[in-house]
Amino acid sequence: MMNIKYILPALSHNWTFLVFLIGKIIRFLFFGGFIYFLLNGTKTLAGYDFNQAILFYLTFFLIDTTSQFLFREVYRFRSYIISGSFDLILIKPISPLFRVLMGGADAIDLITLPPLIYLIFHFGSLLDPTILHSTFYILLVVNGLLLSTAFHITVLALGIITLEIDHTVMIFRDLQSLARFPIDIYKQPLQGILTYVLPIGLMMTIPAKALMGLINLTGVLASFGFGILALFISLKFWNFALKKYTSASG
Amino acid sequence: MKKYLQIFKISFAQEFAYKVNFIMWRVRNVVQILLAYFLWSAVFEDPQITIFGYDQSKILTYIFAVILIRSLVFSARSVDVPQEISEGSFSNYLIRPVEYFRYWFTRDLSSKALNFAFSLLEFAILVIIFKPPLFFQENLLFLTLFLLTILIANYLIFVIRFIVTSITFWVAELGWGGQFLIMVIITEFLSGSIFPLDIFPELWQKVFYLTPFPYLLFFPLQIYLGKIPLNLAMNGILISLFWCLTLSFVLKNVWQKGLKIYEAVGR
Repeated sequence: MMNIKYILPALSHNWTFLVFLIGKIIRFLFFGGFIYFLLNGTKTLAGYDFNQAILFYLTFFLIDTTSQFLFREVYRFRSYIISGSFDLILIKPISPLFRVLMGGADAIDLITLPPLIYLIFHFGSLLDPTILHSTFYILLVVNGLLLSTAFHITVLALGIITLEIDHTVMIFRDLQSLARFPIDIYKQPLQGILTYVLPIGLMMTIPAKALMGLINLTGVLASFGFGILALFISLKFWNFALKKYTSASG
Repeated sequence: MKKYLQIFKISFAQEFAYKVNFIMWRVRNVVQILLAYFLWSAVFEDPQITIFGYDQSKILTYIFAVILIRSLVFSARSVDVPQEISEGSFSNYLIRPVEYFRYWFTRDLSSKALNFAFSLLEFAILVIIFKPPLFFQENLLFLTLFLLTILIANYLIFVIRFIVTSITFWVAELGWGGQFLIMVIITEFLSGSIFPLDIFPELWQKVFYLTPFPYLLFFPLQIYLGKIPLNLAMNGILISLFWCLTLSFVLKNVWQKGLKIYEAVGR
Protein backbone atom coordinates (compact mmCIF):
# COMPACT_ATOMS: atom_id res chain seq x y z
CA MET A 1 0.00 0.00 0.00
CA MET A 2 2.74 2.39 0.95
CA ASN A 3 4.50 1.92 -2.38
CA ILE A 4 1.27 2.57 -4.29
CA LYS A 5 0.71 5.74 -2.28
CA TYR A 6 4.03 7.10 -3.57
CA ILE A 7 3.71 5.88 -7.16
CA LEU A 8 0.60 7.94 -7.90
CA PRO A 9 2.10 11.40 -7.18
CA ALA A 10 5.10 10.50 -9.36
CA LEU A 11 2.78 9.79 -12.26
CA SER A 12 1.01 13.12 -11.77
CA HIS A 13 4.14 15.13 -12.76
CA ASN A 14 3.58 14.23 -16.41
CA TRP A 15 6.43 16.19 -17.98
CA THR A 16 9.06 15.07 -15.54
CA PHE A 17 7.81 11.52 -15.72
CA LEU A 18 7.93 11.49 -19.51
CA VAL A 19 11.39 13.05 -19.73
CA PHE A 20 12.93 10.59 -17.26
CA LEU A 21 11.20 7.66 -18.94
CA ILE A 22 12.53 8.74 -22.35
CA GLY A 23 16.00 9.26 -20.83
CA LYS A 24 16.06 5.76 -19.34
CA ILE A 25 14.87 4.18 -22.59
CA ILE A 26 17.46 6.08 -24.64
CA ARG A 27 20.24 5.04 -22.26
CA PHE A 28 19.09 1.42 -22.48
CA LEU A 29 19.02 1.56 -26.29
CA PHE A 30 22.41 3.30 -26.55
CA PHE A 31 24.15 0.65 -24.47
CA GLY A 32 22.25 -2.13 -26.25
CA GLY A 33 23.28 -0.62 -29.60
CA PHE A 34 26.86 -0.35 -28.39
CA ILE A 35 26.97 -4.06 -27.51
CA TYR A 36 25.37 -4.95 -30.86
CA PHE A 37 27.82 -2.95 -32.96
CA LEU A 38 30.80 -3.88 -30.81
CA LEU A 39 30.09 -7.60 -31.15
CA ASN A 40 29.39 -7.10 -34.85
CA GLY A 41 33.00 -6.02 -35.15
CA THR A 42 34.65 -8.37 -32.65
CA LYS A 43 32.29 -11.42 -32.86
CA THR A 44 33.02 -12.37 -29.22
CA LEU A 45 33.63 -10.58 -25.92
CA ALA A 46 35.72 -12.53 -23.39
CA GLY A 47 34.58 -15.68 -25.19
CA TYR A 48 30.86 -14.80 -25.19
CA ASP A 49 28.86 -14.28 -28.40
CA PHE A 50 26.30 -11.54 -29.01
CA ASN A 51 23.27 -13.36 -27.54
CA GLN A 52 25.23 -14.20 -24.40
CA ALA A 53 26.65 -10.68 -24.03
CA ILE A 54 23.19 -9.16 -24.43
CA LEU A 55 21.82 -11.55 -21.79
CA PHE A 56 24.46 -10.32 -19.32
CA TYR A 57 23.43 -6.76 -20.11
CA LEU A 58 19.69 -7.46 -19.78
CA THR A 59 20.20 -9.31 -16.48
CA PHE A 60 22.20 -6.36 -15.16
CA PHE A 61 19.40 -4.05 -16.23
CA LEU A 62 16.68 -6.27 -14.69
CA ILE A 63 18.30 -6.37 -11.25
CA ASP A 64 19.32 -2.71 -11.36
CA THR A 65 15.87 -1.54 -12.47
CA THR A 66 14.01 -3.75 -9.97
CA SER A 67 16.25 -2.45 -7.17
CA GLN A 68 15.60 1.13 -8.28
CA PHE A 69 11.89 0.45 -8.36
CA LEU A 70 11.79 -1.07 -4.89
CA PHE A 71 14.42 0.95 -3.03
CA ARG A 72 14.09 4.49 -4.44
CA GLU A 73 13.29 5.80 -0.94
CA VAL A 74 16.89 5.11 0.09
CA TYR A 75 17.92 8.10 -2.06
CA ARG A 76 15.72 10.36 0.09
CA PHE A 77 16.94 9.04 3.43
CA ARG A 78 19.66 11.65 3.98
CA SER A 79 17.10 14.46 4.14
CA TYR A 80 15.16 12.55 6.83
CA ILE A 81 18.29 12.23 8.93
CA ILE A 82 19.52 15.79 8.42
CA SER A 83 16.13 17.41 9.01
CA GLY A 84 15.36 15.15 11.95
CA SER A 85 12.13 13.91 10.39
CA PHE A 86 13.39 10.35 10.84
CA ASP A 87 12.10 10.76 14.42
CA LEU A 88 8.56 10.89 13.05
CA ILE A 89 9.13 7.65 11.16
CA LEU A 90 10.51 5.93 14.26
CA ILE A 91 7.39 6.61 16.35
CA LYS A 92 4.95 5.31 13.73
CA PRO A 93 3.53 1.78 14.15
CA ILE A 94 5.36 0.48 11.10
CA SER A 95 8.82 -0.99 10.69
CA PRO A 96 11.14 2.02 10.18
CA LEU A 97 13.41 -0.12 8.03
CA PHE A 98 10.56 -1.03 5.69
CA ARG A 99 9.48 2.61 5.55
CA VAL A 100 12.89 4.03 4.60
CA LEU A 101 13.80 1.10 2.37
CA MET A 102 10.62 0.53 0.38
CA GLY A 103 8.48 3.56 1.20
CA GLY A 104 8.78 5.28 -2.18
CA ALA A 105 8.72 3.08 -5.28
CA ASP A 106 9.77 4.55 -8.64
CA ALA A 107 6.95 4.26 -11.20
CA ILE A 108 9.30 4.92 -14.13
CA ASP A 109 11.21 1.75 -13.36
CA LEU A 110 7.98 -0.21 -12.98
CA ILE A 111 6.98 0.69 -16.55
CA THR A 112 10.31 -0.42 -17.99
CA LEU A 113 10.21 -3.83 -16.29
CA PRO A 114 7.65 -5.73 -18.49
CA PRO A 115 9.44 -5.06 -21.82
CA LEU A 116 12.73 -5.91 -20.12
CA ILE A 117 11.38 -9.26 -18.92
CA TYR A 118 10.11 -9.94 -22.44
CA LEU A 119 13.57 -9.22 -23.89
CA ILE A 120 15.20 -11.55 -21.35
CA PHE A 121 12.71 -14.25 -22.29
CA HIS A 122 13.43 -13.69 -25.99
CA PHE A 123 17.24 -13.62 -25.84
CA GLY A 124 17.33 -16.27 -23.10
CA SER A 125 15.33 -18.72 -25.22
CA LEU A 126 17.85 -18.26 -28.08
CA LEU A 127 20.42 -19.96 -25.81
CA ASP A 128 18.22 -23.12 -25.55
CA PRO A 129 18.36 -23.39 -21.76
CA THR A 130 17.05 -26.48 -19.95
CA ILE A 131 14.26 -26.18 -17.36
CA LEU A 132 16.87 -26.74 -14.64
CA HIS A 133 19.08 -23.91 -15.91
CA SER A 134 16.07 -21.59 -16.27
CA THR A 135 15.12 -22.39 -12.66
CA PHE A 136 18.70 -21.65 -11.57
CA TYR A 137 18.48 -18.33 -13.42
CA ILE A 138 15.27 -17.28 -11.68
CA LEU A 139 16.62 -18.35 -8.28
CA LEU A 140 19.88 -16.48 -8.81
CA VAL A 141 18.05 -13.32 -9.94
CA VAL A 142 16.12 -13.54 -6.64
CA ASN A 143 19.47 -13.97 -4.91
CA GLY A 144 20.76 -10.89 -6.78
CA LEU A 145 17.84 -8.93 -5.37
CA LEU A 146 18.62 -10.29 -1.89
CA LEU A 147 22.17 -9.00 -2.24
CA SER A 148 20.87 -5.69 -3.51
CA THR A 149 18.54 -5.47 -0.50
CA ALA A 150 21.47 -6.18 1.81
CA PHE A 151 23.48 -3.46 0.14
CA HIS A 152 20.69 -0.87 0.41
CA ILE A 153 20.17 -1.69 4.11
CA THR A 154 23.91 -1.26 4.66
CA VAL A 155 23.77 2.12 2.89
CA LEU A 156 20.90 3.21 5.17
CA ALA A 157 22.82 2.13 8.25
CA LEU A 158 25.90 3.99 7.02
CA GLY A 159 23.66 7.00 6.42
CA ILE A 160 22.70 7.09 10.10
CA ILE A 161 26.31 6.86 11.20
CA THR A 162 28.05 9.06 8.61
CA LEU A 163 25.29 11.14 6.89
CA GLU A 164 27.09 10.39 3.57
CA ILE A 165 24.39 8.26 2.00
CA ASP A 166 24.08 9.92 -1.42
CA HIS A 167 27.68 9.33 -2.41
CA THR A 168 27.79 5.80 -1.04
CA VAL A 169 24.80 4.76 -3.07
CA MET A 170 26.02 6.47 -6.25
CA ILE A 171 29.49 4.96 -6.02
CA PHE A 172 27.90 1.55 -5.53
CA ARG A 173 25.80 2.14 -8.64
CA ASP A 174 28.92 3.08 -10.60
CA LEU A 175 30.67 -0.07 -9.39
CA GLN A 176 27.56 -2.05 -10.17
CA SER A 177 27.69 -0.72 -13.73
CA LEU A 178 30.89 -2.77 -14.14
CA ALA A 179 28.49 -5.74 -14.43
CA ARG A 180 26.95 -4.42 -17.67
CA PHE A 181 29.43 -6.82 -19.21
CA PRO A 182 30.42 -10.26 -17.87
CA ILE A 183 32.90 -9.80 -15.04
CA ASP A 184 35.19 -12.26 -16.87
CA ILE A 185 36.52 -9.26 -18.81
CA TYR A 186 38.18 -7.92 -15.65
CA LYS A 187 41.61 -9.10 -14.59
CA GLN A 188 42.46 -10.48 -11.16
CA PRO A 189 42.37 -9.28 -8.42
CA LEU A 190 39.50 -7.01 -9.56
CA GLN A 191 37.47 -9.99 -10.76
CA GLY A 192 37.77 -11.65 -7.32
CA ILE A 193 36.85 -8.42 -5.56
CA LEU A 194 33.78 -7.99 -7.77
CA THR A 195 32.70 -11.56 -7.02
CA TYR A 196 33.30 -11.95 -3.30
CA VAL A 197 33.98 -8.56 -1.70
CA LEU A 198 31.55 -6.33 -3.57
CA PRO A 199 29.40 -9.23 -4.77
CA ILE A 200 28.40 -7.55 -8.04
CA GLY A 201 29.39 -10.65 -9.98
CA LEU A 202 27.15 -12.83 -7.81
CA MET A 203 24.33 -10.33 -8.24
CA MET A 204 24.45 -9.90 -12.00
CA THR A 205 26.88 -12.11 -13.88
CA ILE A 206 26.28 -15.47 -12.16
CA PRO A 207 22.49 -15.60 -12.96
CA ALA A 208 23.18 -15.16 -16.69
CA LYS A 209 25.93 -17.78 -16.53
CA ALA A 210 23.47 -20.18 -14.88
CA LEU A 211 21.09 -19.82 -17.82
CA MET A 212 23.99 -20.71 -20.13
CA GLY A 213 24.57 -23.87 -18.11
CA LEU A 214 27.88 -22.67 -16.70
CA ILE A 215 26.85 -22.87 -13.01
CA ASN A 216 26.04 -26.11 -11.17
CA LEU A 217 23.81 -26.74 -8.13
CA THR A 218 26.71 -26.24 -5.71
CA GLY A 219 27.35 -22.81 -7.24
CA VAL A 220 23.68 -21.88 -6.88
CA LEU A 221 23.56 -23.00 -3.24
CA ALA A 222 26.83 -21.22 -2.43
CA SER A 223 25.50 -18.01 -4.02
CA PHE A 224 22.32 -18.27 -2.00
CA GLY A 225 24.31 -18.89 1.16
CA PHE A 226 26.31 -15.74 0.44
CA GLY A 227 23.12 -13.75 -0.25
CA ILE A 228 21.40 -14.84 2.98
CA LEU A 229 24.57 -14.19 5.00
CA ALA A 230 24.90 -10.71 3.47
CA LEU A 231 21.26 -9.93 4.30
CA PHE A 232 21.71 -11.18 7.88
CA ILE A 233 24.83 -9.07 8.40
CA SER A 234 23.17 -5.98 6.91
CA LEU A 235 20.20 -6.35 9.29
CA LYS A 236 22.56 -6.65 12.25
CA PHE A 237 24.38 -3.53 11.02
CA TRP A 238 21.06 -1.66 10.70
CA ASN A 239 20.14 -2.54 14.31
CA PHE A 240 23.60 -1.43 15.42
CA ALA A 241 23.26 1.88 13.53
CA LEU A 242 19.78 2.54 14.94
CA LYS A 243 21.23 2.44 18.44
CA LYS A 244 23.73 5.12 17.39
CA TYR A 245 21.00 7.45 16.11
CA THR A 246 20.97 10.56 18.28
CA SER A 247 18.22 12.59 16.62
CA ALA A 248 20.70 15.47 16.64
CA SER A 249 18.83 17.53 14.05
CA GLY A 250 15.34 16.90 15.39
CA MET B 1 37.91 41.86 -15.99
CA LYS B 2 39.14 42.24 -12.41
CA LYS B 3 35.77 41.33 -10.93
CA TYR B 4 35.60 38.13 -13.01
CA LEU B 5 39.02 37.20 -11.73
CA GLN B 6 37.64 37.60 -8.20
CA ILE B 7 34.61 35.47 -9.14
CA PHE B 8 37.04 32.82 -10.42
CA LYS B 9 38.99 32.86 -7.15
CA ILE B 10 35.88 32.73 -4.95
CA SER B 11 34.30 29.98 -7.01
CA PHE B 12 37.54 27.98 -6.92
CA ALA B 13 37.64 28.32 -3.12
CA GLN B 14 33.99 27.28 -2.86
CA GLU B 15 34.76 23.99 -4.57
CA PHE B 16 36.86 23.10 -1.52
CA ALA B 17 33.93 23.76 0.83
CA TYR B 18 32.48 20.37 -0.07
CA LYS B 19 35.62 18.25 -0.17
CA VAL B 20 33.96 14.85 0.24
CA ASN B 21 31.46 15.77 -2.44
CA PHE B 22 34.23 16.64 -4.85
CA ILE B 23 36.42 13.64 -4.07
CA MET B 24 33.49 11.24 -4.47
CA TRP B 25 32.69 12.87 -7.81
CA ARG B 26 36.24 12.23 -8.97
CA VAL B 27 36.06 8.62 -7.71
CA ARG B 28 32.96 8.13 -9.84
CA ASN B 29 34.82 9.43 -12.89
CA VAL B 30 37.68 7.01 -12.31
CA VAL B 31 35.28 4.05 -11.96
CA GLN B 32 33.77 4.90 -15.34
CA ILE B 33 37.21 5.02 -16.94
CA LEU B 34 38.10 1.68 -15.35
CA LEU B 35 35.00 0.11 -16.88
CA ALA B 36 36.00 1.37 -20.33
CA TYR B 37 39.64 0.37 -19.84
CA PHE B 38 38.87 -3.23 -18.87
CA LEU B 39 36.24 -3.59 -21.57
CA TRP B 40 38.56 -2.45 -24.35
CA SER B 41 41.49 -4.40 -22.91
CA ALA B 42 39.33 -7.53 -23.25
CA VAL B 43 38.44 -6.60 -26.82
CA PHE B 44 42.11 -5.95 -27.70
CA GLU B 45 43.49 -8.98 -25.91
CA ASP B 46 45.55 -9.63 -29.03
CA PRO B 47 47.64 -6.42 -29.33
CA GLN B 48 48.16 -6.94 -33.07
CA ILE B 49 44.52 -6.59 -34.10
CA THR B 50 42.85 -3.45 -35.43
CA ILE B 51 39.12 -2.94 -34.85
CA PHE B 52 37.02 0.06 -35.92
CA GLY B 53 40.23 1.70 -37.12
CA TYR B 54 41.87 1.51 -33.68
CA ASP B 55 44.87 -0.49 -32.62
CA GLN B 56 45.48 -1.21 -28.93
CA SER B 57 47.52 1.94 -28.25
CA LYS B 58 45.04 4.26 -29.98
CA ILE B 59 41.96 2.87 -28.21
CA LEU B 60 43.65 2.99 -24.80
CA THR B 61 44.84 6.54 -25.52
CA TYR B 62 41.22 7.38 -26.35
CA ILE B 63 40.00 5.91 -23.03
CA PHE B 64 42.65 7.63 -20.95
CA ALA B 65 42.31 10.93 -22.79
CA VAL B 66 38.58 10.92 -22.04
CA ILE B 67 39.37 11.42 -18.35
CA LEU B 68 41.29 14.63 -19.17
CA ILE B 69 38.96 16.03 -21.83
CA ARG B 70 35.83 15.31 -19.80
CA SER B 71 37.25 17.34 -16.94
CA LEU B 72 38.12 20.20 -19.30
CA VAL B 73 34.86 20.25 -21.25
CA PHE B 74 32.10 18.73 -19.10
CA SER B 75 32.96 20.20 -15.68
CA ALA B 76 30.66 23.10 -14.83
CA ARG B 77 29.11 24.96 -11.93
CA SER B 78 26.30 26.25 -14.13
CA VAL B 79 24.48 22.95 -13.61
CA ASP B 80 22.96 24.73 -10.59
CA VAL B 81 21.25 27.41 -12.70
CA PRO B 82 17.97 25.50 -13.41
CA GLN B 83 17.39 25.11 -9.67
CA GLU B 84 18.02 28.83 -9.12
CA ILE B 85 15.47 29.72 -11.79
CA SER B 86 12.84 27.33 -10.45
CA GLU B 87 13.36 28.51 -6.84
CA GLY B 88 13.44 32.20 -7.73
CA SER B 89 16.95 32.89 -6.41
CA PHE B 90 17.86 33.73 -10.02
CA SER B 91 16.38 37.19 -9.26
CA ASN B 92 19.44 38.02 -7.14
CA TYR B 93 21.61 38.08 -10.26
CA LEU B 94 19.35 40.44 -12.16
CA ILE B 95 20.25 43.30 -9.84
CA ARG B 96 23.98 42.59 -9.64
CA PRO B 97 26.49 44.52 -11.77
CA VAL B 98 27.69 41.41 -13.58
CA GLU B 99 27.04 40.06 -17.04
CA TYR B 100 25.16 36.85 -16.27
CA PHE B 101 26.72 34.53 -18.87
CA ARG B 102 30.23 35.83 -18.21
CA TYR B 103 29.65 35.21 -14.50
CA TRP B 104 28.76 31.56 -15.09
CA PHE B 105 31.41 31.06 -17.75
CA THR B 106 33.97 32.25 -15.19
CA ARG B 107 32.58 29.91 -12.54
CA ASP B 108 32.63 27.04 -15.03
CA LEU B 109 36.28 27.84 -15.78
CA SER B 110 37.16 27.57 -12.10
CA SER B 111 35.43 24.19 -11.93
CA LYS B 112 37.29 23.03 -15.05
CA ALA B 113 40.63 24.19 -13.61
CA LEU B 114 40.13 22.21 -10.41
CA ASN B 115 38.77 19.11 -12.13
CA PHE B 116 41.55 19.19 -14.72
CA ALA B 117 44.20 19.36 -12.00
CA PHE B 118 42.69 16.30 -10.30
CA SER B 119 42.21 14.45 -13.57
CA LEU B 120 45.91 14.92 -14.39
CA LEU B 121 46.75 13.27 -11.09
CA GLU B 122 44.29 10.42 -11.73
CA PHE B 123 45.65 10.04 -15.26
CA ALA B 124 49.21 9.77 -13.92
CA ILE B 125 48.22 7.22 -11.25
CA LEU B 126 46.25 5.06 -13.72
CA VAL B 127 49.10 5.16 -16.25
CA ILE B 128 51.58 4.09 -13.56
CA ILE B 129 49.30 1.23 -12.43
CA PHE B 130 48.20 -0.14 -15.81
CA LYS B 131 51.14 0.96 -18.00
CA PRO B 132 48.94 1.16 -21.12
CA PRO B 133 50.66 1.60 -24.51
CA LEU B 134 49.76 5.23 -25.28
CA PHE B 135 49.86 7.11 -28.57
CA PHE B 136 51.55 10.52 -28.54
CA GLN B 137 50.75 12.91 -31.39
CA GLU B 138 53.93 14.59 -32.60
CA ASN B 139 52.53 16.61 -35.51
CA LEU B 140 52.39 20.25 -34.34
CA LEU B 141 49.59 21.14 -36.74
CA PHE B 142 47.33 18.38 -35.39
CA LEU B 143 48.19 19.36 -31.82
CA THR B 144 47.26 22.98 -32.57
CA LEU B 145 43.99 21.93 -34.18
CA PHE B 146 43.30 19.67 -31.21
CA LEU B 147 43.70 22.59 -28.78
CA LEU B 148 41.51 24.77 -31.00
CA THR B 149 38.74 22.15 -31.00
CA ILE B 150 38.93 21.90 -27.20
CA LEU B 151 38.34 25.67 -26.96
CA ILE B 152 35.40 25.41 -29.34
CA ALA B 153 34.02 22.45 -27.34
CA ASN B 154 34.10 24.53 -24.15
CA TYR B 155 32.11 27.31 -25.73
CA LEU B 156 29.71 24.90 -27.41
CA ILE B 157 28.82 22.96 -24.26
CA PHE B 158 28.27 26.20 -22.36
CA VAL B 159 25.74 27.37 -24.95
CA ILE B 160 24.02 23.98 -25.16
CA ARG B 161 23.72 23.80 -21.36
CA PHE B 162 22.12 27.25 -21.14
CA ILE B 163 19.67 26.48 -23.96
CA VAL B 164 18.61 23.36 -22.02
CA THR B 165 18.50 25.43 -18.82
CA SER B 166 16.12 27.91 -20.50
CA ILE B 167 13.40 25.24 -20.47
CA THR B 168 13.10 25.94 -16.73
CA PHE B 169 11.57 29.37 -17.48
CA TRP B 170 8.58 27.66 -19.04
CA VAL B 171 8.40 24.34 -17.13
CA ALA B 172 10.01 24.79 -13.72
CA GLU B 173 9.82 21.11 -12.76
CA LEU B 174 11.80 20.19 -15.90
CA GLY B 175 14.94 21.90 -14.63
CA TRP B 176 16.71 18.70 -13.66
CA GLY B 177 14.77 16.51 -16.11
CA GLY B 178 16.02 18.52 -19.11
CA GLN B 179 19.60 18.38 -17.84
CA PHE B 180 19.26 14.62 -17.30
CA LEU B 181 17.92 13.92 -20.78
CA ILE B 182 20.06 16.27 -22.86
CA MET B 183 23.25 16.81 -20.85
CA VAL B 184 23.60 13.47 -19.07
CA ILE B 185 22.16 10.99 -21.55
CA ILE B 186 22.29 12.43 -25.08
CA THR B 187 25.37 14.65 -24.77
CA GLU B 188 27.46 12.02 -22.99
CA PHE B 189 26.63 9.30 -25.50
CA LEU B 190 26.78 11.36 -28.70
CA SER B 191 29.95 13.15 -27.64
CA GLY B 192 31.75 9.80 -27.54
CA SER B 193 32.61 10.02 -23.86
CA ILE B 194 31.11 6.59 -23.10
CA PHE B 195 32.52 4.85 -26.19
CA PRO B 196 34.03 5.97 -29.51
CA LEU B 197 31.39 6.79 -32.10
CA ASP B 198 33.19 5.01 -34.92
CA ILE B 199 31.89 1.63 -33.77
CA PHE B 200 28.61 2.73 -35.37
CA PRO B 201 27.90 2.23 -39.11
CA GLU B 202 29.23 4.96 -41.40
CA LEU B 203 25.82 6.43 -42.16
CA TRP B 204 25.08 6.87 -38.45
CA GLN B 205 28.44 8.57 -37.96
CA LYS B 206 27.66 11.00 -40.78
CA VAL B 207 24.39 11.90 -39.07
CA PHE B 208 26.12 12.30 -35.69
CA TYR B 209 28.68 14.65 -37.27
CA LEU B 210 25.88 16.95 -38.38
CA THR B 211 24.86 17.46 -34.72
CA PRO B 212 26.94 19.58 -32.31
CA PHE B 213 27.62 16.71 -29.88
CA PRO B 214 30.65 14.89 -31.41
CA TYR B 215 32.54 18.21 -31.44
CA LEU B 216 32.57 18.20 -27.64
CA LEU B 217 34.95 15.25 -27.26
CA PHE B 218 35.00 12.69 -30.07
CA PHE B 219 36.10 15.06 -32.83
CA PRO B 220 38.97 16.65 -30.84
CA LEU B 221 40.21 13.18 -29.96
CA GLN B 222 40.01 12.01 -33.56
CA ILE B 223 42.24 14.94 -34.50
CA TYR B 224 44.68 14.15 -31.68
CA LEU B 225 44.86 10.50 -32.74
CA GLY B 226 45.41 11.54 -36.36
CA LYS B 227 42.41 9.52 -37.50
CA ILE B 228 41.00 12.37 -39.59
CA PRO B 229 42.80 13.80 -42.66
CA LEU B 230 43.51 17.53 -42.59
CA ASN B 231 40.75 18.53 -45.03
CA LEU B 232 38.09 16.67 -43.00
CA ALA B 233 39.47 18.16 -39.78
CA MET B 234 39.08 21.68 -41.22
CA ASN B 235 35.61 20.77 -42.44
CA GLY B 236 34.66 19.57 -38.93
CA ILE B 237 36.02 22.75 -37.35
CA LEU B 238 33.87 24.82 -39.71
CA ILE B 239 30.77 22.78 -38.80
CA SER B 240 31.48 23.21 -35.07
CA LEU B 241 31.94 26.98 -35.58
CA PHE B 242 28.63 27.03 -37.45
CA TRP B 243 27.00 25.36 -34.42
CA CYS B 244 28.61 27.91 -32.09
CA LEU B 245 27.09 30.78 -34.06
CA THR B 246 23.69 29.17 -34.57
CA LEU B 247 23.28 28.02 -30.98
CA SER B 248 24.47 31.41 -29.65
CA PHE B 249 21.73 33.04 -31.70
CA VAL B 250 19.17 30.51 -30.42
CA LEU B 251 20.29 31.02 -26.82
CA LYS B 252 20.11 34.81 -27.07
CA ASN B 253 16.53 34.68 -28.33
CA VAL B 254 15.30 31.93 -26.04
CA TRP B 255 16.90 33.53 -22.98
CA GLN B 256 15.33 36.94 -23.73
CA LYS B 257 11.91 35.32 -24.11
CA GLY B 258 12.47 33.35 -20.90
CA LEU B 259 13.41 36.49 -18.97
CA LYS B 260 10.15 38.13 -20.07
CA ILE B 261 8.02 35.36 -18.60
CA TYR B 262 10.17 34.82 -15.48
CA GLU B 263 8.02 35.52 -12.41
CA ALA B 264 10.47 34.79 -9.57
CA VAL B 265 8.17 32.08 -8.24
CA GLY B 266 9.11 31.22 -4.69
CA ARG B 267 10.29 34.75 -3.86
